[in-house]
Amino acid sequence: MTALLTGVGVTPFGRQPGPDSVEWQTTAADLALDDAGVDPEAVDALLTGYSTVDGHLMPANLFAERFGIRPSVAFGMNVGGATGLAMLAQAVQLVESGAARHVLVVAGENRASGQSRATSTKVLAQVGHARYEVPLGGTVPAYYALLASRYLWTYGLEADALASLPVQMRVHAARKAGAQFQKPVTVVDVLESRPVAEPLRLLDCCPVSDGGAAFVVSSGRTSERSLVVSGTGQAHRHQHLSALEAGTSGAALAAQRALSEAGVSWVDVDVFGIYDSFSITVALLLEELGLTPPGRAGAYARAGAFEVDGRYPMNTHGGLLSYGHCGVGGGMAHLAEVATQLRHERGAAQVADCEVGYVHADGGVLSAHVGVVLQRADR
Amino acid sequence: MTERPPDWTTGEPLLNVTTCARCGNHWYLPSVHCPVCSSADHDVAPAGGGGLCVAVTRVHVRGDDGAGVLGLGLVELDEGPVVMGVVHDEGLAPGDRARIEFRHDGPEGALVPSFGREG
Repeated sequence: MTALLTGVGVTPFGRQPGPDSVEWQTTAADLALDDAGVDPEAVDALLTGYSTVDGHLMPANLFAERFGIRPSVAFGMNVGGATGLAMLAQAVQLVESGAARHVLVVAGENRASGQSRATSTKVLAQVGHARYEVPLGGTVPAYYALLASRYLWTYGLEADALASLPVQMRVHAARKAGAQFQKPVTVVDVLESRPVAEPLRLLDCCPVSDGGAAFVVSSGRTSERSLVVSGTGQAHRHQHLSALEAGTSGAALAAQRALSEAGVSWVDVDVFGIYDSFSITVALLLEELGLTPPGRAGAYARAGAFEVDGRYPMNTHGGLLSYGHCGVGGGMAHLAEVATQLRHERGAAQVADCEVGYVHADGGVLSAHVGVVLQRADR
Repeated sequence: MTERPPDWTTGEPLLNVTTCARCGNHWYLPSVHCPVCSSADHDVAPAGGGGLCVAVTRVHVRGDDGAGVLGLGLVELDEGPVVMGVVHDEGLAPGDRARIEFRHDGPEGALVPSFGREG
């Protein structure tokens, strides 16, 4: 049986005080179910991403009660930034096994306004090893900064090597309603923004946002807009930076598993959604996936490779760097954007002739990887 | 229950490297099985303390408001694994030979590995 992505929903991201995490989730769920044309009553399985603000033991049950549904399968998932795509992969399994007809995948969090920045920084720093890394005083940006430092040194690059990536994300975000940041920025703006963890500066880092996202995965088409989830692949090779093997984080392994299942290769893929928590994150992913040569992701960005009409149209909603990052929902927005592109509903930012899309998310410090291949049902 | 060998996390000024008795893989963080070959047969021994600095950062935005700038680094030990530590030598840069010391610079004076240029 083939699993179809029948609905997607993404709220605007930004600092938007008011709703709590579950309220962002219910808003996103309504958007996705409306998009799919599926009645909430028809949802027989529910997968819900964690919220660091809520920290609830049972996020799926918490959501189901508040939303007003009574699914026969419900569970929460936690694999950091990869959670949304990992939930999608599980939703596909539930549909393909016949256990569910309509699976609702949902996440949302008031991460920007529901906790202080210091609390958020401390909570996220727990992806470090409790005994061997956290006592050193690092943060998530610090861990990625170490990767960036090693990257620049390895390839003999200067500090400006990554700056074109956030600049490109901002260009995309300017064409996307709901993006947290839309004002254009330049390479100089990136280099002159305040240092967070050198060599990473503020504009190399995604913001913290409030917002939500949801998908509906179904056993059959609900409209001509339904898309086929033709491949998923995962890799989980380490948790901590101190156990990461440089260049073999698992990104390529997850992608190859997804591409192989879909029976496609990179030349078939027309549009991309690649996790971009930091400029260095998307550079390392692009290079490990083999889309750009080692050390050249920034140069490719500078040359327009990730533009709508470039060689690898990528994150055309602005990515985490500019659309924003509300936790699990942040990594789901990439897939929603790729789905919108594949439906040919992206207006002025439409990628021409796109039929196949690839989305990649990572959690932790390049720790948990999930790749997903989507394609038009008429392909 | 596997007994944890003493190291800097238990207050001893040393840092251990584990070597797999089956495949020879080396690693740093505690792991029951070898991440390469899954063998549970391995030996733990203190590292010599020298290596190659492969990354440094100066952390400006920290979890604790008011905390100062923190230097962190990665050193590829001569034994193979890459380890994280604080940096006490502002001149340390990727590509330098590094020497690991142990200093009471962690939370509440806890012992942590600290990197500087060798010699």
